[in-house]
Amino acid sequence: MRFRDRGPREPRVTVATGIRMVTIWHLFGVAAGVTSMLLASRTGDDELPVAIKLLMQVFSIVVTVAHVVAAYGTFRGLRRARTVSLVTNYLLFVVAGSALLHQVGAFTAIGKFGTGLNKAFLPFLVIVVGLLWVLVAGQLLSNRPHATGPTALRKAGWGLAAIAAVWFVIAADPSGMLSTLADRITQPLTIGTAIVTVGAGMATRFMWQRRVAVHFGTSAAEEQTLSGLAFLSPNLIGFMFFFAGPLLFSLVVSFFEWKTTGTGRTFVGIDNYVRAMSLDISSADAANAGNEVLKSGYQVLMHLDWFGQNWVLGARDVEFWISLRNIFIFLVLAVPASVLPALVLSSILASRLPGMKVFRAIYFVPSVAGVIGVAIIWGQLFQSTVGWINYIILRAGEILPFVDPPADGHPWVSSNSTALLSMVVVFAWMNFGFNTVLYLAGHQSIPKELYEAADIDGANVWQVFRRITVPQLRNTTFYVLITTSILALQLFDIVWILSTPEPGGPNNATTTPVLALYEEAFQGNNQGYASALAWVLFLIIFGFTFAQFRQQKDGATSGGVS
Amino acid sequence: MSVRRKGPKATAIRVATYVLLLAVAVVVIFPFLVAVTTSFKRNTDIFTYPPSLVPRAAVTVPAEQVGLEGDPVPVYTFPARDDRSGQWALVDNDASLAEFRPLDDLERIIVLAVTDGDKTGATITIDGEAEDVFLIDDGGTQIEAYRSRLTSGGLFVSVGNPDDTVLDLVNFATPVQEFGPRFENFTEVLAERDPETNGKGVGRSLTNTVLVTMLVVLGQIITSILGGYAFARVQFKGRSTLFMMYLGSVMIPFVVLIIPLFQLMLQVNWRDNLVALIIPFAFSAYGTFLMRQFFLGIPAEIEEAALLDGASRSTILWKVMVPLARPAIATLATFGFLYAWNSFFWPLVIINSGNPDNAVLSLTLSTLGGRSSTDTNLVFAGAILAMTPPILVFLFAQRYFVENSASSGLK
Amino acid sequence: MAAVTFTNISKRYKDGPKAVDGLDLEIADGEFMVLVGPSGCGKSTALRMIAGLEEISDGTLAIGERIVNEVPPGDRDIAMVFQNYALYPHMTVRQNIGFALEVARVKKDEINRRVEHAAEMLGLTEYLERLPKALSGGQRQRVAMGRAIVRSPQVFLMDEPLSNLDAKLRVQMRSDIIQLQARLGTTMVYVTHDQVEAMTMGHRVAVMRKGILQQVAPPQELYLRPANLFVAAFIGSPSMNLITADLTVNGDEVFVDFGGHRLRISPKALDRYPGLRERNGTEVIFGLRPEHFAMEDDIEVGDDQILTVRCQLAEAMGAEVHVHAVIDVPPPMVDGAPTAAEDDPEALVAGTKIIARVDGIHTVAMGQDVRLAVKTHLTHFFDPASGAPLR
Repeated sequence: MRFRDRGPREPRVTVATGIRMVTIWHLFGVAAGVTSMLLASRTGDDELPVAIKLLMQVFSIVVTVAHVVAAYGTFRGLRRARTVSLVTNYLLFVVAGSALLHQVGAFTAIGKFGTGLNKAFLPFLVIVVGLLWVLVAGQLLSNRPHATGPTALRKAGWGLAAIAAVWFVIAADPSGMLSTLADRITQPLTIGTAIVTVGAGMATRFMWQRRVAVHFGTSAAEEQTLSGLAFLSPNLIGFMFFFAGPLLFSLVVSFFEWKTTGTGRTFVGIDNYVRAMSLDISSADAANAGNEVLKSGYQVLMHLDWFGQNWVLGARDVEFWISLRNIFIFLVLAVPASVLPALVLSSILASRLPGMKVFRAIYFVPSVAGVIGVAIIWGQLFQSTVGWINYIILRAGEILPFVDPPADGHPWVSSNSTALLSMVVVFAWMNFGFNTVLYLAGHQSIPKELYEAADIDGANVWQVFRRITVPQLRNTTFYVLITTSILALQLFDIVWILSTPEPGGPNNATTTPVLALYEEAFQGNNQGYASALAWVLFLIIFGFTFAQFRQQKDGATSGGVS
Repeated sequence: MSVRRKGPKATAIRVATYVLLLAVAVVVIFPFLVAVTTSFKRNTDIFTYPPSLVPRAAVTVPAEQVGLEGDPVPVYTFPARDDRSGQWALVDNDASLAEFRPLDDLERIIVLAVTDGDKTGATITIDGEAEDVFLIDDGGTQIEAYRSRLTSGGLFVSVGNPDDTVLDLVNFATPVQEFGPRFENFTEVLAERDPETNGKGVGRSLTNTVLVTMLVVLGQIITSILGGYAFARVQFKGRSTLFMMYLGSVMIPFVVLIIPLFQLMLQVNWRDNLVALIIPFAFSAYGTFLMRQFFLGIPAEIEEAALLDGASRSTILWKVMVPLARPAIATLATFGFLYAWNSFFWPLVIINSGNPDNAVLSLTLSTLGGRSSTDTNLVFAGAILAMTPPILVFLFAQRYFVENSASSGLK
Repeated sequence: MAAVTFTNISKRYKDGPKAVDGLDLEIADGEFMVLVGPSGCGKSTALRMIAGLEEISDGTLAIGERIVNEVPPGDRDIAMVFQNYALYPHMTVRQNIGFALEVARVKKDEINRRVEHAAEMLGLTEYLERLPKALSGGQRQRVAMGRAIVRSPQVFLMDEPLSNLDAKLRVQMRSDIIQLQARLGTTMVYVTHDQVEAMTMGHRVAVMRKGILQQVAPPQELYLRPANLFVAAFIGSPSMNLITADLTVNGDEVFVDFGGHRLRISPKALDRYPGLRERNGTEVIFGLRPEHFAMEDDIEVGDDQILTVRCQLAEAMGAEVHVHAVIDVPPPMVDGAPTAAEDDPEALVAGTKIIARVDGIHTVAMGQDVRLAVKTHLTHFFDPASGAPLR
């Protein structure tokens, strides 16, 4: 049953026979769907967890119905039948194929492949070198086709890669993996899934053919739609499965009290949100009154002194509110620190002075170096006794009169007052270069004539900057502010590495919302509540994003020079 | 180019500009410089004060030179001792010695071996305590002194003259150091985690990270090309709605997804396996936009010509569009590489912290460099290993990367 | 080789306007058909419908015996040369030409043979290994043609292929294309906006305007017997002079009065336009091509066939002189009917502009009064309301 077309077309299977076979396949699909339904609904020892069971049952029903419709349609040669059959078979192919790979352990094998790569890393590097030669040769050939040098280079590259590949296989030693694979393949369930996959695949392949489309009278527009969705499908399936689905699930979970591991799950409606956001203010007699002054379940967040009266502000989730406070302080400090230097520097870099590209590249490097490495380095720089920061301040104090360093080095990261500030420094250092490049792009769209006019008008550098450059960059500034803010609001990695004695710093000085969320979900085991926190954070971030989108829309029509 | 202003004021501005740029560049480069030098230092060298940018090693002399056998012996000088110059090898770190103070100059201290000095039999009262008086040798002359303290110190042998020995407290000796980078830092940090060798296991994480990054980039390129082409050139029903959804997805911060993704990984049993770092990220909305934008820029007629030539859409995509899309693909690959190589949050969630076989670089580094780290020099070596590939990739791909990230970001 | 048949083809866009409206056209097997018209007239759309690059809203399109409305472009066995050549930038000339054969999985030797044959026909043999960016405009044009030829299709389509070339090259390529089509004998559908090109190249020419086919006929026919006012004004360079006048018919005596002038029309015109007899005393639009004029002394006509005008501008073209003048009659602006002035709304000056072509030996000065002899037996007549010829 090979449907492969080769050369001048002489297919071995006629359209009619093929359709008949597909119809039979659909009937088989009905049977498979019913079987799957029965398997899903089994009770007793083999009963599946509720979510999966429900999913499988729904899936089985859908599959069965689809196959019934398709079988009927293909049998009768109805026009829409081809579309139904194609969609059914393709989706079935994808699902069954994925299930097959899962049963065979192909996915986890990818992970286990790490061992093989580790053993055979050297031959792997040689393969990479070979492929690089091929790539470089390809680039050279694209300008001078058939040039002998690059062609030889390309051949050499493939040769090298091939030899190294053999070496790689030997070194990686896949014998263990192959034997496991052999075991798994022979399982009955696996064989069944394999049959379904192959059948669905072949049916799709057949029905896709041009002549079948002609037979069923598919219009050109329909064909385009099918084609487009087919191209999009890997992307779309990933999108649905790993993004849209989880997103919805996250929302659902936030309405439950749901244990991360284990099986505890209760519906609580919006309780999680209420708990996160609850605040209470009570008057107190003493300036440092404790929890007793507040409603039950509330803890002290901070003390206030209004109009001579002591007040106590409490929250049910003190840590979350502290994290909100922290992150907003951080925002207010870190965003200007990341944006203003970028604005100034970009204006300089936008000029045609020699060497600008070098500086641009240098400034960008912190953004790409990787946050963990960077945080470790800064941890060492901030070290109170032997860190460079304190040393430099000390030396500066000897030279400059107004700098008065403390006798002992200041513990930047472990002190309440400066822990957050340390994070600001690291964040700004990492991000200003990226923002500089964003601003540079904005500079491109400022018409040269404005500067020329200002030149003729005799404006000096500062005036040009203030009255022309900055206003013209309004849109870019907005964009940069928003993107940096969104990044800042999600601060986690730097805090995780840098703060001592534990993530979150001394007295929660550097706890951030994402950190609080993480701890709630994976240390506190409350993924329901953590999801609610995530959505609250999302709404805050969304406020920023939305503002940016609106500004972009307006900016596109009104901003800039007309 | 308009006529440039000349003259001292303009030059001064120019100079000031470059000074500013250089100053900022120094601020950027300095931490990396510290990292590189620290990665070559000995651990003890890192916590010295004042901090130094130069990795140093102790100067040594062969043991035979000072009449011993075995390992080379470290060399010191005595800057605090005016009368003692030259280099001295520390032969014995635990020599018993005594401090003698001359009776006619109680502030001065002479350090001799415990056995040195002859008791005269006389005593003298110091601070209400009776002390024996000794006759000791002071540069040739015998003088009277009492023994103020017994302690342990070092036995030093002069490097120039092996017969010349001296006893002294080790505090007064400054080690002679030379430029001595320790390349073993890197080999050690790459060694497998093994209690015996105390390897830190970055080697395995490195290869894991390579694997993950490679597959993620590959996946992103393929799915983005397919998706970008579909959005750009194929008219299908629901295209604009789907595209809106993709646009919207960019606004969702990742943190909202970690919990459900975690559960999903549990269900399919991908927890604590590298595949959880690969497959969910083999799709990229940004990548799809990038490819779509690029494909839109290719003239439609080329495609129409290919259609008329009888090519299927798939052939057109891979044989005609993709070869023209090299810059966009390079940009995508670079973005993807940086994202996958440096990602930390998700691996932290999904890979068990106690499992070195499945860790990626960022994870291993964070445990190494964490609060309980002891081998700072190894940690820094690991950090350098982790940071060098992305920096190299960036510098190499810079042509495409910087222009495209800026322009695509502002659309 | 195949015929192409449009049967009541229409193309409608979402917002309403029809790009092509009820087109009925039969292109015979082996014919060189030119589609011509002002921009926006639907000629390119019609061409692209043959190619399958535009969807057909109504009607049937047949190539040969086959109805191809729903057949994808790659299956129609046609080849197209685009205005911008659409060469694959990253492929050599050889690869460009051979691409379609590669797609059809023809054997490599066969591909090379056919590619080299096509290259030879077009003089491209020495460029086979070059990339498009290393070629001149004319060479790229030929590669595009080579790509079309090598497939031996049933129909060639060309979408304004010469419009990007300079004038001299254009003339040369024109003759190359004509000879090529004659040699291959393949049906050719050629779109252009240049009516000179249309007239010199096609076996038949289809004039289109606003999606509607105006007339399809061999070039001479279009010139001599235009089917309506639009075709009359479109064909010919400079365009036909159209003047609104009062007609007097008295047996064989025909007179037109306009702007203070009176011309007697030769009775031969009545043979060509018998409908005149019914139009006595009405307003008509009559058309005189610039080449229907001569200086008074150059031809023999009666005094009542002489038109005296004041020269506004005299263009000395070498072999001839173009005399521009104004007739004191409002230019024909008929609602709903095509006129020459429609594409130039600014031309609402008082008076109708006319151009006369006279022998180059004469010197005519601006402001000078000239006496022009009119070959009135070649006059055309149209109805002012409908634009229809008064036959």
